[in-house]
Amino acid sequence: MNQTEQNFEDVKRLLKLKRHEVPPPGYFNHFSGDVISRIRSGEAGGKQTYLERLQIEAPWVVNLLRIFETRPGLVGAFATSLCLLLVLVVFFSERSDVASQNLITASGLAATPAGSAATMNAPVLVAATDSSGIVASTNPVTSLQPVATLFGQPASGSLFQPVGFAPAGH
Amino acid sequence: MIMSETGATPDASTPTGMLEGDLVRRAQRGDLDAYDELVKRYQERIYATLYHMTSNHEDANDLAQDSFIKAFQALKSFRGGSSFYTWLYRIAVNKTINFLKQRRNKHHFSLNDLDFNTEHNPDLVALISDKTPLREAGLAELQKKLNEALMKLSEPHRMVVVLHDVQGLSHEEIAEILDCNIGTVRSRLYYARQQLQGYLAEYAKST
Repeated sequence: MNQTEQNFEDVKRLLKLKRHEVPPPGYFNHFSGDVISRIRSGEAGGKQTYLERLQIEAPWVVNLLRIFETRPGLVGAFATSLCLLLVLVVFFSERSDVASQNLITASGLAATPAGSAATMNAPVLVAATDSSGIVASTNPVTSLQPVATLFGQPASGSLFQPVGFAPAGH
Repeated sequence: MIMSETGATPDASTPTGMLEGDLVRRAQRGDLDAYDELVKRYQERIYATLYHMTSNHEDANDLAQDSFIKAFQALKSFRGGSSFYTWLYRIAVNKTINFLKQRRNKHHFSLNDLDFNTEHNPDLVALISDKTPLREAGLAELQKKLNEALMKLSEPHRMVVVLHDVQGLSHEEIAEILDCNIGTVRSRLYYARQQLQGYLAEYAKST
């Protein structure tokens, strides 16, 4: 370890040579001027690409992409795990649908005392009331609403009948 | 090449005498004089980092200018969560890594003259005269070998070596710039030095 560290000291000393690599004298005299004139000439008005914005605002995403780029196997593993997750979600969502349907059926049976007899009579009732203005749907909840006619007036055979108030004694 | 932080002059009303935070706020409002001052403060450090990463002056110059322009474009999104200097470095580093990916395996070293102080650097004189088996090898030869060795490293490893061993940044600063943890910086540095030690074995002998 000592030997390694001693060698690292030599490497570090060698690297210090890089500090002496400088551009010619006066190189930076016009540098900032060039940058500012390029900005003034409208280059700064150019739109940033999505990736450039991402690099500045969310560098971790770019780092993740770089990791994927350098290790293609990781992309495969990530894609596989995503697919597995998707399959699991679909599988469990289907199971939960079946379970909830069973639950609804069971609760429906428990709520009606007559049981299957009532269920069988239900279509007949709907058919009977259909002509009297009741709107039936295939939904489990029957909607008792008057059928509207022209000008919004209720039809004559609707659920509600007009009430007449006659004075007492007539 | 490491530029010292420009000290504030007594006249704080001019951009030269302003604090970095004030300059950034003014530049965010579109004040180009303030931004010019920010460019002047960091141009040498940014340029040096990009040069050591690319080993080419033209590329370093283009990348440094593009980085400053990109930083100006994105300045409105700078919230001050980190220092402007760190944020600017991050832009320059990302730009350089993207550039190097496109330029992979096309190295054009621009080996310019070393500055006057090089020949008087005691460490380097000792390395060349005492430890190098090729005693006649000059500094230019060493510089060439050094650049070739650096270019053999992967970009993340080279970046850490340049920022730490050449530019003198701390582990914490590098971690912030590269958006990774300090442990990663340390391990990359260790690995990179180990690699360099192998590539520069003839120059880095300790016996």
